Amino acid sequence: MRLTASQRAVVNAPLNEHLLVAGPAGSGKTTAGVHRLLRLLKKGVPANEILVLVPQRTLGFPYSDALRTPQAEAGGEISILTIGGLARRMTELFWPLAVEAAGFAHPDRPPTFLTLETAQYYMAHLVRPLFDQGYFESVVIDRNRLYAQILDNLNKSATVGFPHTEIGERLAAAWSGDPAQQRVYADAQDCANRFRAYCLEHNLLDFSLQLEIFLDILWPQAIVRAYLTRAFRHLIYDNVEEDIPRAHDLILDWLPAFDSALLIHDEDGGYRIFLGADPLSAGRFQRAIPNQIRLDENHVQSPAVAALEARLTRAVAPASPAPPPDETEAPAYTLVHAPFYPELLDKIAAQTADLLADGVPASEIAILAPYLSDALRFALMQRLEAADIPVRSHRPSRSLRDEPASQALLTLAALAHPAWGLRPTRFDVAYAFMLALETDLVRAQLLAEIVYRPKDAALTGFEQIKPEVQERITYRLGNRYTLLRAWLDEYRQSEPLPLDHFLRRLFGEVLSQPGFGFHHNFDAVRVAASLVESVRKFRLAMQPTQEDAEAADLGREYIDLLQEGVIAAQYLESWRADAEEAVLVAPAYTFLMMNRPVRFQFWLDVGSSGWSERLAQPLTQPYVLSRNWEPGRLWTDADEVAAGVQALARLTSGLLRRCREHLFLGLTNVGETGFEQRGALLRALQVAVQKGRTPA
Amino acid sequence: MNEFTLRPSQEAILAYTGGKLGISAVPGAGKTFTLSALAAQLISSGAVAPDQEVLIVTLVNSAVDNFTARIGQMIEQAGLIPHLGYRVRTLHGLAHDIVREKPALAGLEERFQIIDEREADLIRREAARAWLQTHAEELLAEYRRLDLEDYQLGRVRRDHLPELVESLALAFIRSAKDRRLTPEALRALLDQAPGPLPLAEMGWAIYADYQRALTYRGAVDFDDLIRLAYHILETDAEFLARLQYRFPYILEDEAQDSSRVQEDILRLLAGHGNWVRVGDPNQAIFETFTTANPRLLRRFIESKADLRAELPVSGRSQPAVIDLANFLIDWVNREHPAPECRDALAPPYIQPTAPDDPQPNPPADPQGVKLIGRKFTPEAEVTAVVESLARWLPEHPDRTVAVLVPRNTRGVEVIEALKKAGIEYIEFLNSTSTTRAAAGVLGSVLAYLSDPSSASKLSRAYQAWRRAWRELASQKGLYTQTAELLRKCRRVEDYLSPQPGRDWLETVAESLPPADEGDALLQELEEFRALVRRWQGTTLLPIDQMILTLAQELFTEPADLALAHKLAIVLRQAANDHPGWRLPELTDELALIARNERRFIGFSSDDSGFDPDRYCGKVVVTTMHKAKGLEWDRVYLMSVNNYDFPSLQPNDTYISEKWFVRDRLNLEAEALAQLDALQASGEYEWYAEGQATVAARVDYVRERLRLLYVGITRARRELIITWNTGRQGEATPAIPLAALQEWQENRPPPA
Repeated sequence: MRLTASQRAVVNAPLNEHLLVAGPAGSGKTTAGVHRLLRLLKKGVPANEILVLVPQRTLGFPYSDALRTPQAEAGGEISILTIGGLARRMTELFWPLAVEAAGFAHPDRPPTFLTLETAQYYMAHLVRPLFDQGYFESVVIDRNRLYAQILDNLNKSATVGFPHTEIGERLAAAWSGDPAQQRVYADAQDCANRFRAYCLEHNLLDFSLQLEIFLDILWPQAIVRAYLTRAFRHLIYDNVEEDIPRAHDLILDWLPAFDSALLIHDEDGGYRIFLGADPLSAGRFQRAIPNQIRLDENHVQSPAVAALEARLTRAVAPASPAPPPDETEAPAYTLVHAPFYPELLDKIAAQTADLLADGVPASEIAILAPYLSDALRFALMQRLEAADIPVRSHRPSRSLRDEPASQALLTLAALAHPAWGLRPTRFDVAYAFMLALETDLVRAQLLAEIVYRPKDAALTGFEQIKPEVQERITYRLGNRYTLLRAWLDEYRQSEPLPLDHFLRRLFGEVLSQPGFGFHHNFDAVRVAASLVESVRKFRLAMQPTQEDAEAADLGREYIDLLQEGVIAAQYLESWRADAEEAVLVAPAYTFLMMNRPVRFQFWLDVGSSGWSERLAQPLTQPYVLSRNWEPGRLWTDADEVAAGVQALARLTSGLLRRCREHLFLGLTNVGETGFEQRGALLRALQVAVQKGRTPA
Repeated sequence: MNEFTLRPSQEAILAYTGGKLGISAVPGAGKTFTLSALAAQLISSGAVAPDQEVLIVTLVNSAVDNFTARIGQMIEQAGLIPHLGYRVRTLHGLAHDIVREKPALAGLEERFQIIDEREADLIRREAARAWLQTHAEELLAEYRRLDLEDYQLGRVRRDHLPELVESLALAFIRSAKDRRLTPEALRALLDQAPGPLPLAEMGWAIYADYQRALTYRGAVDFDDLIRLAYHILETDAEFLARLQYRFPYILEDEAQDSSRVQEDILRLLAGHGNWVRVGDPNQAIFETFTTANPRLLRRFIESKADLRAELPVSGRSQPAVIDLANFLIDWVNREHPAPECRDALAPPYIQPTAPDDPQPNPPADPQGVKLIGRKFTPEAEVTAVVESLARWLPEHPDRTVAVLVPRNTRGVEVIEALKKAGIEYIEFLNSTSTTRAAAGVLGSVLAYLSDPSSASKLSRAYQAWRRAWRELASQKGLYTQTAELLRKCRRVEDYLSPQPGRDWLETVAESLPPADEGDALLQELEEFRALVRRWQGTTLLPIDQMILTLAQELFTEPADLALAHKLAIVLRQAANDHPGWRLPELTDELALIARNERRFIGFSSDDSGFDPDRYCGKVVVTTMHKAKGLEWDRVYLMSVNNYDFPSLQPNDTYISEKWFVRDRLNLEAEALAQLDALQASGEYEWYAEGQATVAARVDYVRERLRLLYVGITRARRELIITWNTGRQGEATPAIPLAALQEWQENRPPPA
């Protein structure tokens, strides 16, 4: 790829210079950053002295991808980290320095880092008993989201930098609705306090605590600072506008110590505001780094797409600059209309197939929606796959909980541990037989009907069945069943194992043997492996608080949580690596955070109000909890409208700047669930695309 | 607008440019047409800016579609882009729009769930049962009739009491929500009450329990949606102002069925004063308990509107039917035996069309109206109607006909009789047929997959898959034969996954003649086998993915596929709410969806209303309530006796006054009166037992008079009214029916 003169100036800047690169999306900033990284290596900078800092892991992918290409220099490992990753690494390393200062109850024991799921689990554990005391009575919310929002509040306090004890107060002070609602904020505050206390009691570290320990306790200490400044001599910090203010604080403080630093700023970004991004705070780098290069020329958009972007942005936010005069060339969009959703999906699949037939590479097409329901993603992927179109999504269409193989394994686990008191239904057992014993549904059902007693989860022997029915089930299946039953019986007699150990044994000794369902079924094997890993991680995370409990009971706990959906967000891990050459199906914000332009975009469904509605979280409020909110000010409808307009303008313009050629607008009369929708995006599009009607 | 011919009364309405306008219309006056034309006119005249919309609020989803399509057409004909500049909503749809924009203000999260009525029923039933477990004796001690025998008391405890408490709970909770009282607010009022209010206490306890259960699910019900929408508009003045700007005109159809909170919401939205309300107070009828109140519209038209108009001209019925309906208004106004019921109906009278009207009335036929005075038992009445139909149908294959009954159970009896007589009928009692068809097809397949070794279910799944062949003469033979063979397959596994040497298909092949016919049958069985194997594979998928996959194989119609998509989401939600549910439970759930009408807001295009004209030569059986808005060439009104149409006479009995309750109290009415008392201010407004029961009788009698009026005005050419002596044999003809008969006999023949 040929770089422009400005990009070359970035790449070739002296090795002792601090430089800020600014410009809109599509102007080649990250490309320049990647080449800068390669040049540092080429100039002999040791890889382990380079820190690439990004606000979110996906934003680091262009860098890690570049390092995998043949022209990259071999050498040590470059740290491509988020502030969270750095915090965790430092907390692990300097645990003894942190442990007492942070107030942990057991300085002698190691820390346990919590994932989002395990943090949710502990939150559920603490909050569940409070519902009976009337907590959160006036708020209608799914339990898991309630836990997530309390955690989110803690994270906000850590990423913005105010004491976590002020969360409720800040939220209440901005609330202009029904005063009764303010009690909810007090409840949320109380739960946050309890959670923090519990973490300190058990050496648990959620994201907020990791961040606070690193920034408030470790970084101020000379020894830590000396370690970090010695370890990292060169910094590349991309998408500073998407990062949290406390990350900015850290880098502003640390900056003088770096030999070279390249900071990259997209002034129109800020898509992660809901996750704590603070573009305003990122503006401080403009003042801190005098040496700046602007990249303005857009290398992505065709002129028609650029014109559409200008008109649409103007229609969304009338305060933005006037669009250029109407161009005469063909418009950059096509309307794909169908009365109902499934028809729309058919049309989109057909349109995608046409594009591929015209020679467009699959990776140049992205199908985006504000929110992808499981049903929608599945229906869309199914159609694309049926048309032999390679397709990938931001995550697979089934969570671990929904994978048939993991359900079969957990059913067998329940049968092996009658003491858990879990009684699988006949149906579960039939499905487990179908998969584990590799048979058809009818015979699996027949067998389960006869041999399984749900009352005590007991299985009777095949030899006790009437010969006529034995024949129907077939002796071959009977043999496999007998083996499985004998294994389960034997296990029941022995000392119970932790669930992951149990699953590993069941798999190795029975299910992977010839004749059994996991012998040839590689998908199922992959699922089994992920399940075992997920259970293992859960067990390790739970250990600090469960010392006295039977390890095997944790297995039951795991199954409960999986069923309640607390551990719902787990997916098979390998999705990113494969199928790069594929059509992408993803939520719009996920696409933005992948930061990779495509030639063609589909937006569905443009009538959906989801494109502009992102605010409603009853227990938290990203704007009020940000650094830019004047304490005590009320959050009004005008604020909300302004925030909505700004977010929509940012989103549509961000998407269009990552669109090279053409946009397909999917439109239906009624949405997925039957609601007719006329969201703000549709209204803006109507204004933007209507000839002769200029926005007021 | 030149493409549409308007009557002078309609023209006058199109002159509207602003202000509060109240319109009284008569049955068949073209309300939808006129309102659509007005909306199109406002849009095409440029009175609506690009970021504004005319808001049309109507009662049911099928009307939403109707309006949307008509206005779209009219705007297109005026040379503008259709689907721009207006929004048609039911009150629920509108409330949903409002709450979706500001969920946090209502204490909701972004993607809050709305539970449908069936789920709400289940939750309420649980709450009611739980309450009864500890309070049944208390309630009985307070309200039961003292002279009950032990065996009667047993029955009451077992069957009647739970049913009664559930229906009380429904009415109470709805009413409390209509008054925007939360359980907490209600508790506070109860704590300050100067005297005991046992029914309100009961209502509160069940309400609180019910609401807790909703909160636990992260859900709201339909009534909450409306209550919360109002709450948001009331709390956030800026947002309200924004909506007032967005909807510069509000057109409200079926305004006679408007409830207090609907009126409140629209009044707020119409802060700019541009509010057009069209309705026919004479047609205010409610199938189940609602909080609607026809007096609200009358009051609006009489005293609050800036402008008043009428749509009195109707081309629907022949003159004899119109005269009968108009006389009913007159008689009620002047001679109804109970003076308090005399305003149940009111002018305007129905006027026939002018001679040059494009949709003139059917020709006059005085013989077309038959009011049968004969005394029938209930069975004999059904027989008489069915015999009359059997004579009439063969001579009128191009005409439409309906039998209208006061309640569903009576409709079922009529249908049984029609079945026996071999007369083709269309049942339009509960669910509309298309929802049922699509959900039914999926249901048959799921039922088989829940019980995979059942040959009969396999055969039914086959029939569902090939349902189109039933109507195809060329395929019907193969279809029937295949279904029959499958039903007799003894070991399903030998067909679907045969072991070597045990293939059922081979056995079948041997028994068939080697002709073409046999080949076609084998081919069909093989194709179906491959299909079922794929179906079996889907059982391992999550329910939503399973439904979507099956739907791809089962449906081609876009509306069916869209419904399947929706069902997939609904069933997934059900599976999440009930983690223990497996395929059999989910199949049951689907069957319930198929059986009950579920109010999927906005998702109506699968049921775009019932069109009687599609069923010429067949008998439509429905209730008088459901017949509202529809018309037929010939209409039978049945059971017009003093039980279903009482007149506040000493020998009248009322369905809401339960036989086991003391003093003929209507406990539902009493419970609501206790709720009223809690909000009353003056000491003279305090609760006095029995008053509400009496008032409820008056309301009921009035509503029944309007129901009769609605029934009469369904007929275009012929109308037959009959009555029966009731289950106890004591019922008499309804007094209004007797009055109509007398008038008909004595009136001079038309000039």
